[in-house]
Amino acid sequence: MVTDVIKKLNTAVAGAEATETAYAERGYNISISASKDNLNKIVQFFDDEKFYLEDMLCVDYKDYLEVLYFFNNYRFLCRTKVALRIDPANPHVATMSNIFDGAAWYEREIHEFFGVVFDNHPNMGYFFLHDGIDFYPLRKGKVPVPPEDKKRLSAFNVEEEEDAFTINLGPQHPSTHGVLRVVLKMDGEYVISAEPVLGYLHRMQEKMGENRGFMQFLPNTGRMDYLGPMSFNAAYVCTVEKLCGIPVPERAQIIRTITIELNRLSSHLLWLGAYLADLGGLTPFLYVFDDREQINDILERITGSRLTYCYMRFGGLYNDVDEQFVEGTRAFVKRLYERFKMYETLVTKNVIFINRTRGIGILDSEKARKYGFSGPVLRSVGIPYDIRKVEPYAAYDRIAFDVPHEMTGDALDRYMIRVHDMEVSLKIIEQALDMLPEGPYVTEKVPKKMKPPKGDVYHTVESPRGEVGVYIVSDGTDTPYRMHWRVPSFSNLIIFPYLAQGTLIADAVSSLGSLDLVIPEIDR
Amino acid sequence: MNEIINIVGKEVVRNVIGLVGVLVVVVVNVLILTWVERKVSGHMQRRIGPKEVGPFGLIQAIADGIKLLGKDIITPEDVKKPLYFLAPIVIFIPVLVSFVVIPFDSFLQVKDINVGILVIFAFSSLSVLSLLLAGWGSNNKYSLIGAMRSVAQNIAYEIPLLLALLPVIFMCNSFSLKDVVEAQKGIWFVVYHPIPFLIYFIAGVAETNRTPFDLAEAESELVAGFHTEYSGMRFALFFLAEYSNIFIICAVATIFFLGGYQGPILPGIIWFFIKTYALAFIIVWFRWTFPRVRFDQLLNFSWKVLIPVSFLWLLITGGMLKIL
Repeated sequence: MVTDVIKKLNTAVAGAEATETAYAERGYNISISASKDNLNKIVQFFDDEKFYLEDMLCVDYKDYLEVLYFFNNYRFLCRTKVALRIDPANPHVATMSNIFDGAAWYEREIHEFFGVVFDNHPNMGYFFLHDGIDFYPLRKGKVPVPPEDKKRLSAFNVEEEEDAFTINLGPQHPSTHGVLRVVLKMDGEYVISAEPVLGYLHRMQEKMGENRGFMQFLPNTGRMDYLGPMSFNAAYVCTVEKLCGIPVPERAQIIRTITIELNRLSSHLLWLGAYLADLGGLTPFLYVFDDREQINDILERITGSRLTYCYMRFGGLYNDVDEQFVEGTRAFVKRLYERFKMYETLVTKNVIFINRTRGIGILDSEKARKYGFSGPVLRSVGIPYDIRKVEPYAAYDRIAFDVPHEMTGDALDRYMIRVHDMEVSLKIIEQALDMLPEGPYVTEKVPKKMKPPKGDVYHTVESPRGEVGVYIVSDGTDTPYRMHWRVPSFSNLIIFPYLAQGTLIADAVSSLGSLDLVIPEIDR
Repeated sequence: MNEIINIVGKEVVRNVIGLVGVLVVVVVNVLILTWVERKVSGHMQRRIGPKEVGPFGLIQAIADGIKLLGKDIITPEDVKKPLYFLAPIVIFIPVLVSFVVIPFDSFLQVKDINVGILVIFAFSSLSVLSLLLAGWGSNNKYSLIGAMRSVAQNIAYEIPLLLALLPVIFMCNSFSLKDVVEAQKGIWFVVYHPIPFLIYFIAGVAETNRTPFDLAEAESELVAGFHTEYSGMRFALFFLAEYSNIFIICAVATIFFLGGYQGPILPGIIWFFIKTYALAFIIVWFRWTFPRVRFDQLLNFSWKVLIPVSFLWLLITGGMLKIL
């Protein structure tokens, strides 16, 4: 399949020079170096071949800037890296947002942090940084922001128009679950347009990653997505393991699987409660906390923390599990099956709930591809795409489970997907507990200060919200040269302006809730 | 005492005592209902609710009231001051008047007016004016949307509210609440009119802005709707009015459909309060079970379902009365 794509591309686009790379080491199958002239053709080729834009980032190599496009598709694994070198003195690239809508936000992000200007971009406004910052943070030297760019820093001073008024949904609002701000232009109860403003919780995690050792960055991963820290732990740890070639014992792999799934359960449970609270039903919120508390207790025993876990280590885990963990988890799984029946009568069969979610925020598979959303939102449009199945990490390749997917793509489907996801998680946990072997839980010979070989690596895992991708460039020193995170909440939020347009404010809130956003993850 | 009565007249003394009594009932009712709401919601949500202040947390509401009284009265900048100040008062006064005509027992009624039910509706309709004042005066877009919603909602739901009561009024030929109760000596009207009872109750929940119809507040959409900008005692007045409105809605339902103070063995007043608080409990139960409906669904439900059905029932009742 991969060779077919390379052959097709090399004939379709002259001078594309696509080459196959070692997937096991690099995490991507094809590498292409594009030029400004054929970039548009290459991206168009991937659009025609029904690929989706997985990620987009920029790396400053001092002599040149490299803009990277990652493409992948839902049918077979074929991650493609398209690299475009540009001159830092004249950082202009043609925008790809006319082909892939999702690119618009990635391009804005790159513009904000690197100063790369994307020509013909619909809206290059800053949305992460505040007004005081007059340099590009992720550039390797201090590059000042040109004066004509500075005025964009306060671009969200909204002008009132006739027949319409604007509302700031957030940054402090009960249903944005954090400090997300959405500028809504309203006509009475109807939303004319919605524009998210990010960065109220921006901590520049990617820059932090460049400034500290590989091990030192590990606790930061849990702070990005505080509801699914295990997945973020796993994403980072697996990436570095791939980069350095560290083996992981079987017992550690199984325990990783169990803890990731327990964490997924707690995340989905909290989402369920919070979503119902968005719709005005406050009681389920407290019921799910009851269940979630049990997960926290189980994980607290082995990790030492209840929310932002830092459990995984390169080559294994921080701590071994014991009989009590196994027994406790089994008892919890049994209990949660019983509780699902209650949630079904309280929520799933509730007429008001169904009427509030059915037909709200409908998405389709073409939109999924163009905007690049992932996780339960993607599976709700009928695409059974799950990183756990496609690129198994931990012990997922040894466990039998199916990927739930619905067809309509409305908010009700996104709810149902997450409920089925929880059932799948329970099945995975049961199987993993049965196959838990004896043995070491961590590889002994991992150096404290790691110096991975030169090179780059991309790795993805399936977090509760979707696809988390980590891209690390190593220059052979003990700190990463560049670390990039592809976070699912960010890529899922790109669709929100489209979803909110023309709906009632109540439906916009319902759609926003159904995307399951975690704000620190968006802002990083 | 007799001299005072002789000087000012029997009727005036009776009214003064009655009004003081009404004030006491209003305040005590709010204390009880907030306690019930917090305790019931606590147990419905696997919590235990208030328990520290007093036995079973019974005087928690008093502690809260004192706290609210002691709070700084904050007036946000740029509010339209007269409207902003007026709104909490306008919402509270009509509630008091409604209590005047409610017969708590055969002998316990401040004033039996021959258009009692109309008095209640006339005055409770004023509450929508207050919500509009609050929403407009707050100079806050969320409040304004909340106020707009509440106006549309109140107009839509006052119609089925009154239409559902009309069959009962047809049957006893009187607007006086006491006459209505007296007419239910044998069988409660809920037996003859189960569907109007349901319509009245649903519309009543909507009229009091309670979940699932709390669109004027709609925490997750409009922050707190019309009372976003109110705090301290001004907020407490909205709060008092909300719980008093619940009581009035439940009391009218009791009077019209559940036989009012009629009941065996126990004294009438006990029966009245048992029935009223049973209905109030159901309203609390609703709130902690259902999510919120959407605005258009809410209006459609009133105009397309409740109003036609209540008209139909009215026609049938009228026809039956004519024939029998």
